[in-house]
Amino acid sequence: MSDMTMLPDVEVVELENGFKALLVERGPLPVVASMLWYRVGSRDERTGETGVSHFLEHMMFKGTERFAKGQIDLQTSKMGGSNNAFTDNDSTAYYFTMASDRWETALEIEASRMRDCLLDPHEFASEKNVVLEELAMGEDDPWRPLYQATESLLYQVHPYHHPVIGYRQDLERLSAQQMRDYYHRNYGPNRAFLVVVGNIDRARTAERIRELFGPLPRVEDRREPLTEPAPQGERRAVLRTPHSVTRLCFGFPTCRMGERDDYALDVLAHDLGNSKNSRLYRRLVLKDELVTDVHVMNETRQDPGALFLMCELRDGVEPAKVEAIVREEIRAQVQEGVAKKDLARILTQIRSSFLFQDEAVLDMAMKLGRFEAGTPGGFRTLGSVLATYDSLTSAELRTVAAKFFDFDRIAVVWGLPAASKDGDKPGARRKAGKTSRRPEVQKREAAPKRSKKAKAHPPVAKKKPTEKSRKKARKGGKRA
Amino acid sequence: MTVPLRLTIGERELDSGLTLQAVQNPGVQTYACVVSLDIRPGDEPADRGGLANLVGETLDEGTERHDALELATAVESLGAMIDANHRGGVVMAPAVAAKAATALLHELVLEPVFPGREVRRVQAEVLTEIKAEEDDPRSVAARRFRKEVYGEHPLGRPTAGTAKSVGRLRPKDLRAFHDDWFRPAGGFVACAGPEDPERQLDRLEKAFRGFRGKAPKHAPTPDVDLGPAGRDAHLPMPREQVHVFLGHVGIRRTHPDFYVLSVMDHVLGTGPGFTSRCARKLRDEQGLCYSVSAGITASAGEEPGMFTAYIGTSPEHRQRAIDGFLDEIRRIRSEPVSAQELQDVKDYLTGSFVFALERNSNLAAYTIRARRFGLGFDYIQRYPELIRAITAEQVREAAERHLQPDRLVVISAGAS
Repeated sequence: MSDMTMLPDVEVVELENGFKALLVERGPLPVVASMLWYRVGSRDERTGETGVSHFLEHMMFKGTERFAKGQIDLQTSKMGGSNNAFTDNDSTAYYFTMASDRWETALEIEASRMRDCLLDPHEFASEKNVVLEELAMGEDDPWRPLYQATESLLYQVHPYHHPVIGYRQDLERLSAQQMRDYYHRNYGPNRAFLVVVGNIDRARTAERIRELFGPLPRVEDRREPLTEPAPQGERRAVLRTPHSVTRLCFGFPTCRMGERDDYALDVLAHDLGNSKNSRLYRRLVLKDELVTDVHVMNETRQDPGALFLMCELRDGVEPAKVEAIVREEIRAQVQEGVAKKDLARILTQIRSSFLFQDEAVLDMAMKLGRFEAGTPGGFRTLGSVLATYDSLTSAELRTVAAKFFDFDRIAVVWGLPAASKDGDKPGARRKAGKTSRRPEVQKREAAPKRSKKAKAHPPVAKKKPTEKSRKKARKGGKRA
Repeated sequence: MTVPLRLTIGERELDSGLTLQAVQNPGVQTYACVVSLDIRPGDEPADRGGLANLVGETLDEGTERHDALELATAVESLGAMIDANHRGGVVMAPAVAAKAATALLHELVLEPVFPGREVRRVQAEVLTEIKAEEDDPRSVAARRFRKEVYGEHPLGRPTAGTAKSVGRLRPKDLRAFHDDWFRPAGGFVACAGPEDPERQLDRLEKAFRGFRGKAPKHAPTPDVDLGPAGRDAHLPMPREQVHVFLGHVGIRRTHPDFYVLSVMDHVLGTGPGFTSRCARKLRDEQGLCYSVSAGITASAGEEPGMFTAYIGTSPEHRQRAIDGFLDEIRRIRSEPVSAQELQDVKDYLTGSFVFALERNSNLAAYTIRARRFGLGFDYIQRYPELIRAITAEQVREAAERHLQPDRLVVISAGAS
């Protein structure tokens, strides 16, 4: 598949103040997607201000000097469009999809809120309640507390330690002035880039971008990449939940997004748990019938990320038995690597996952944005991404598996029904590593449906944003 | 906006009563095919709740030619995705694999054998899912709300069934359901991809011409009436939030008020962002919630849907949220929407509907809807005019006819 390129014809517009825009003209439908990415995420938050990036994402819709409160949604609606945004650890993105004969208002909105967001104290107070409701909703979710506990065990020093949505006590204390300071410090043209995909006139769009974003002043550059010290031993936690289903989350520290190992980890994740043919699905779901679902996510990030492995146990199954088998299968993968025929099938699925993202303008904009934001080579990496996957060998995959799947560096979190009497020590073994200081979690909300991904879906990693299940387990990202 | 949309669509009806449809989607390198047969809620026996769902969940667990893993390997090797359901399924694949993907979808939908071991495994998975839903307050409230709205109508039963009804199901029940109801008459197979429609239709015909069988005799679906007034229940669960559902029986998609009501929905509770009255008032102004909506058209289908208002909020705000919904329902029944609100919603609806045509699977679903609900393939050309012609008084009158604030069911679950 290395002869295929996933790189569309992109016109790059670069301004003196550091702003950059990627423009892709495509038809035939009269639609446009516009995404403004900020290189600002929960990673940039200081102690005591956790959650401010995500809260600010909400406030970016609450009025600017030019667009009064309510006008952004109203203008979007009149453009026949929709808007939304998400915040993750490394970045925040705002996006519009619109009819192509009236989409340019989106550029005006983005330019206005880059520096002139009102952050009105009254609106701030009202929206804080909304964010706290969102936090409560996430706390009621069955997976999110497990995911966050795993993340906080993996990262003891790095700001990835704290959840994207923030801690309740920080959010409650946060003032409008603190948010204003954060906004002025971090939000500017040199920390942002724009992606526009759709039925556009590129020359006209480029000109409009220069007019609107050219005069905006730079802000301070981003902090240098940080690295979490290597874990000294396995870390474990047990959450008592109000749910009746037992769940397991493993986390392995890995590498940065876009590094060569990242591609290998995508393949390894798929081979481990993301299809009916994967090792863990075959063993735990089909053969031993111990779990109802298993999912593996390669979450590489700007700073070294992690690979998460999640299982939902069948009723009455002994947790220690499942954990022992997970370890056994991971060791088997380290020993055996990925069989040649399996590798061919996985690579076919990876290619498909890229093709599917070209069906809709927003998906394509998301794909370009993810690569531009997250990989050292930026969006141009898409030109060689399939060739990189294609060049992976079984020997290299074994090496990468051995490098990262080290049980002395993992985090393991069990979510046990609060009523369970025999689950105090569910693990096959318990090492002397640190454990979570999180209080027992007593809330949840929507249980994920049985995942169809295990039934034959292509693998999709962080840079392939069509995957929904990973987002289900992640942070409080979306505004609505 | 004038939509320069002219979809190239082809259609053939086979002797068996199966309708084949194909849409050309130029420029994409992907393909989708949807099978949607004429299987109705009343086709599932009342004492076999969850049977139809389990049939859908197990279609890909083995056929006369392949076991479950062989099927999965075949699908994955194409780079395809298949999702089966109780009326058929959908496959998405690279366009170069269209023929093989169609053949796999055909095999999976029409030749399943429901092997005992696999059925039992999936059954256990569904039981775990039901258990998980039973401690999810939003699911608990939604399930009870549905039961209260539909009463004894088949739609009042939970789609996945109950632990008791699912636990009783056997592979022979699944085989019998499949034999009885997976018939070609009244069904659709629709696809979309880069090739011209005739070529795609040839492929579909070749794959599905052997699909034969007598038209099934569906029992008439009972009507659903508005229930008695004053049904209000709270199901306490130890959680952070309370999830509130409020509403009553709605309309079918073929109801002549559908378009007027879709405008009403957007003004009332489904507009984008926070443009709707409910979102503006309950979320944006009062900060009561993260998630809020209200509408009647989204669930309108072959059977009557529901008018549903939903909010997830803190328990101390439960009554305030209910009162907020009631105020807005009464207001939209009594006062014409403003000229500006009406124009804003028209601008949105006439500009945004084209997004529903972006993906192959959406295009295939569109052609099925166009026939199933009698909309016609020229629907996308007519839609903007249908919307533009709606007046504020029509919206008020439709709201008065279809929203009944004195007959609402109110169900909540979660924190008290």
